[in-house]
Amino acid sequence: MKWHLNKRTTALLVPAFFFLLLVLYSLVMSFVESVKGPNGWTLSYYRDLFLEERLYASFGYSLSITLISTALSIVIGWALIRSFHTLIENSLGKWILWIPMLFPHFVWGYFVLLLLGQSGVLSSFLYSIGLLESRNQFPVIVQDKEGLGIIITYLWKEIPFVVLMLLPVYAQLPKQYGEVIHVLGGTKRDYFKTIEWPWVQPVLVEVFLIVTAFIFTAYEVPALLGVQYPQMTAVLAYDWFYGISWDERSYAFALLFMISIVMSLFALLSFLLLNRRRWLISKSQHQR
Amino acid sequence: MKKPVFYLLSSLLFLLPALMLAVKSFTPVWKWGEPLSFDWTLRGWEVFLMDSRIYEALLLSILIALTVTFLNLFVGILAGKALSHSDFKGKGLLETFLLLPLFIPTMAAALGLHITMIRLGLANQWLGVVIVHLVPTIPYTIKVMKAGYDRVGSGIIEQAKVLGGGSFHVFRSIELPLLMPSVRSAVFLTVTISMSQYVLTAVIGGGNVITLPIIYYPFLQSVNDTVMAAFSIAFALLPVIAVAVVELLSKLLTYKGTLVNRGVT
Repeated sequence: MKWHLNKRTTALLVPAFFFLLLVLYSLVMSFVESVKGPNGWTLSYYRDLFLEERLYASFGYSLSITLISTALSIVIGWALIRSFHTLIENSLGKWILWIPMLFPHFVWGYFVLLLLGQSGVLSSFLYSIGLLESRNQFPVIVQDKEGLGIIITYLWKEIPFVVLMLLPVYAQLPKQYGEVIHVLGGTKRDYFKTIEWPWVQPVLVEVFLIVTAFIFTAYEVPALLGVQYPQMTAVLAYDWFYGISWDERSYAFALLFMISIVMSLFALLSFLLLNRRRWLISKSQHQR
Repeated sequence: MKKPVFYLLSSLLFLLPALMLAVKSFTPVWKWGEPLSFDWTLRGWEVFLMDSRIYEALLLSILIALTVTFLNLFVGILAGKALSHSDFKGKGLLETFLLLPLFIPTMAAALGLHITMIRLGLANQWLGVVIVHLVPTIPYTIKVMKAGYDRVGSGIIEQAKVLGGGSFHVFRSIELPLLMPSVRSAVFLTVTISMSQYVLTAVIGGGNVITLPIIYYPFLQSVNDTVMAAFSIAFALLPVIAVAVVELLSKLLTYKGTLVNRGVT
């Protein structure tokens, strides 16, 4: 085992390093823009940012939509793969689950609008069979204040994502260990605790982080299916960035930079805590 | 019992929406309160394909997506090989760092790069858009390619080297054919993600780089659901076409008479 990067490996990693530099550079620039005032460097934008009522409204709104969407996606996606993974492993099942992955988020958002909007297909259909008297009787579930339309869109898109991320794990679960447990008189609970959970947990954490970060900071869906107030973080940042005043432009950078730092630290910490276990699993995989 | 439940559920939730959009793209505009009309029409697709603005946007989107894809494969295959087949201090940390771009807002990257792009003359240029599209795609590609190299293993590559194969020759005749499933997934993901970028393209492209999402997005509230449905289906077809193109190119690049042709895989 080589413990130091040799020349060959380093050469292979050079393009990836450049990519990391690009991302790092963009973050540094975001920070620079957030502390650049008309009279030199200043942290005042961060202070003023926290006086903005729009920020708190946005945080509360974004956080609740993000946590509801992420939690439900993971719970439902995990339940699906646990009950059906043998079926999803065959190609037909996999292809059906890939379908929503093919469409961009905003296209799926359009579909939700087309289907569930007040003037949508469902409302029109219910009217034509006489269940509704006017379109106003159809509940506002898209472009509503609670963000229900946004949550529906995200669930529809993220559940297949969760399933497809977990699929390789379930396909590779060492089934012979299950037999060992069975022979030694263990229960399903023992199987879950000693085999399934240790294998699935790192991927669940990773998926949770990816989906949370994405939903919390994505622009397209909330800009389409949200309301004027409150706004999700990305929509707020976009408005501020293209706002009239210089202050607002700095707020946009400060807001995005803060989220970047918090999310990165959160992710880094989770991975550091998980890494040791992941390393052990990869070792045992080699020996099989 | 399980089987019908699964197929019913997944068809209803995932297949039906796509079918509905497909049907919608061939039927006239559905007005609210009127019975759904199924007088088949090509109107939606005509508007989509005949509009020169859309046509140009389509070509530009494909150009951007394919460039992003090739850069992704270049970075991803090399890094995937390094991360899978060698062990070094700090590898776990490096892997984590390479995933980090997925956890930061892509808008932070776009806005952060904006001024630099203006200075370098890359803002309002398709190449600038390509660069910013790398941010949400490369982490996935590296992950997928690393898993691919894990599956291939280093044994067969070392064997070929021992037998005197040059690096590029080994890559063409052994690695690429065996990696194709991973390449396909990576292309698929990259093109789909690239096609999904409205805000990154809008910020860096500055209204000058007109890709499909830039045209589609403002029309989302439009009443012409027939055209919108055709447009929506086109978005889903593009990744499929891209996979076909890459498949073809890899066939050209692959050394003739490889393992695959002999049916060993």
